[in-house]
Amino acid sequence: MGAPAIRGLGVLSGTEAKSAAGASAGATSGNSTPAKSADWGSAGAISGPPHVKGLKNETVDSKLEILTLPRPDRPGDRFRRATRECLLALAAVDAMLEDGKASREAIVGERTALLYVTAAAYGASNRAFIERRGGVMHFAYTAPAVVPAEVAIEFGVAGPYGILIGGAPATLRAIEQAGRLLEAGTCDQALVLAVEIFEECADLYARHRRSYRWPLVETAACLWLERGAGALSFESARDGRRAAGAAEPGERFAAGPLADLRDWRARATAGPVELSGRWRGEHARLLWSPEKSHARGSAA
Amino acid sequence: MATPERVVIAAAGVVTPIGQDLEAFWSSLVTGASGISQIERVPVEDLRVQRAGEVKKLGRIKDWRGVPDCRASRLLIAAADDLCAQAAFRPLPLDPARVGVVVGTALGGVEEGEKVLAGDRGPRRLSQALYDGPGWALARWLGARGPVITVSTACASGATALAVGADLLRAGEADAVVAGGYDALCRFVLRGFDALRSLTRDEVRPFDRRRSGLLLGEAGALALLVRERDARGPRLGTLLGYGSASDGFHIAAPEPEGRGLERAIRAALADARVSAADIDMVSAHGTATPLNDRIETAALKRALGRRAHEVPINSIKGSLGHTMGAAAALEAFMCLLSGQRGLIPPTLHLEEPDPECDLDYVPGEARPGRPRIMLSTSMGFGGCNGALVLEAS
Repeated sequence: MGAPAIRGLGVLSGTEAKSAAGASAGATSGNSTPAKSADWGSAGAISGPPHVKGLKNETVDSKLEILTLPRPDRPGDRFRRATRECLLALAAVDAMLEDGKASREAIVGERTALLYVTAAAYGASNRAFIERRGGVMHFAYTAPAVVPAEVAIEFGVAGPYGILIGGAPATLRAIEQAGRLLEAGTCDQALVLAVEIFEECADLYARHRRSYRWPLVETAACLWLERGAGALSFESARDGRRAAGAAEPGERFAAGPLADLRDWRARATAGPVELSGRWRGEHARLLWSPEKSHARGSAA
Repeated sequence: MATPERVVIAAAGVVTPIGQDLEAFWSSLVTGASGISQIERVPVEDLRVQRAGEVKKLGRIKDWRGVPDCRASRLLIAAADDLCAQAAFRPLPLDPARVGVVVGTALGGVEEGEKVLAGDRGPRRLSQALYDGPGWALARWLGARGPVITVSTACASGATALAVGADLLRAGEADAVVAGGYDALCRFVLRGFDALRSLTRDEVRPFDRRRSGLLLGEAGALALLVRERDARGPRLGTLLGYGSASDGFHIAAPEPEGRGLERAIRAALADARVSAADIDMVSAHGTATPLNDRIETAALKRALGRRAHEVPINSIKGSLGHTMGAAAALEAFMCLLSGQRGLIPPTLHLEEPDPECDLDYVPGEARPGRPRIMLSTSMGFGGCNGALVLEAS
């Protein structure tokens, strides 16, 4: 099938938060202090200190670090109750539009598809709802569907819609699905959105320290696709192995492939990009030739 | 453009508050049975509304060894057990690597998360708490080693899952896909809907002028999907098309004119290559909230035109409650059984039609009729809208 071309890509990553705000800022671990504010170029919509809840009744190995993203500060009463993952999703779309040198009007309407992927971003809101007995967290915000909903509301995206729950293979599948929607003419452009946050559940992840590649890197990313002329192939297999250990730059779950794509674009490498990822014993690979003319470094 | 390969629903399996296999489910629907009862499995004394469509005892499977102690996973696996009994699908009759699993859910294994936060440190509890945990548990129980996908388009999830399953077959990623939806009742969701004041103390009365809200339900609903060229033996029907659209309006309330649902219906008809005039029956989302039913009626009128006034339309949520991730799959199976059996189940508790809901919503008793092509609609939190077009065999 014809491969989609990249129109824009915005990636907000806890690694940038760390480098922008100092070696220890942006990281949460057992004995960390709240990080200072971070400010990164095109992600400038984000400011203010991160929302650090601390680790409840847990002794966490300080090596089990979480590189956090601060809660974006977005004006407007509508966002008063919005969760951090929702606000990060909006900021990722802002960054994507900036990378694509486009205004928000460019993605408005019924011809823009929106595919959202996450493995666990809803964990924060679910936990808040459970622990606060429903009094503070608006119940609707516990649904994974609310993250793309906020994007759809804010940017007027009203086309085909999908939400996949899973790690990196699900994101690779979403890119492939976006390509199919574009090729079939179901939409004219497609957004693949992935958000992962970990901080609010840091103690729970620490209980399963051997299951993840530390540090856990909070990431919000949005990829803007349009019809292209290249090639794309997707394959997945179950081999039962866990993710390889100690690989840089840590674990981003569903957002990993979009961060890898950003890195590939930043290198301005010619030829196809190979994106791969693993989750629960599934290993997936996407071999993709987006149009070369779009292969430029991300501003995010 | 080439016509997409047709995907057949070869068999279906369910576990619901009104029956723990497809036949019992169907019999209860057409006889107007209600699965609504006092909630017993979780404490509800502090809640305003304490009734739901609860599955009292999962009786299908006697030996749960090897299956996680997770209600959501067990609902799903009980539905799979019914499916496998009908389709002789366990042990798998084909290469496990060519069997996929696609499930839709609004809540995943969130009840396991409640247990973790209450202090349960079971080693697998956290993994099951992720929303894709039950889907993987199902794949392990089946022995399937193909793609395992969980979708979560809120209460439209079951429809999305069937469509994604069909896509897997068309893309050649699998030769058979077990697809559908599930959700379990738990404190989390009961408290949530209680706080939203969406639940009624009355009966669930879709399209009735006295309707005052929904009641929740729990269920698992799974279909065996295969490409038409691979289908052998009896079948329930064919999945002709799917459409989705986002409202882009509000995180919890539907868009007042139902434009998103209208777009999803139009997309599904286009995908199925049928027109509104071809539709013989509609299974409405029909939650019985004051807003939903009025908005859905308006959307059906715009999307189907005159045909909306000519076809029978029902909602089965009065019988089951709103089974969230399972709802759309159950409603799809109900449509196909209507076509096969020549009966359209009634909209339970619809007694005084709302003048603003002035379509033929099949009140009273099951109605004779043998629809061939059916439309099933779904709406969910976050403005998720989904529509399926199905053809009975």
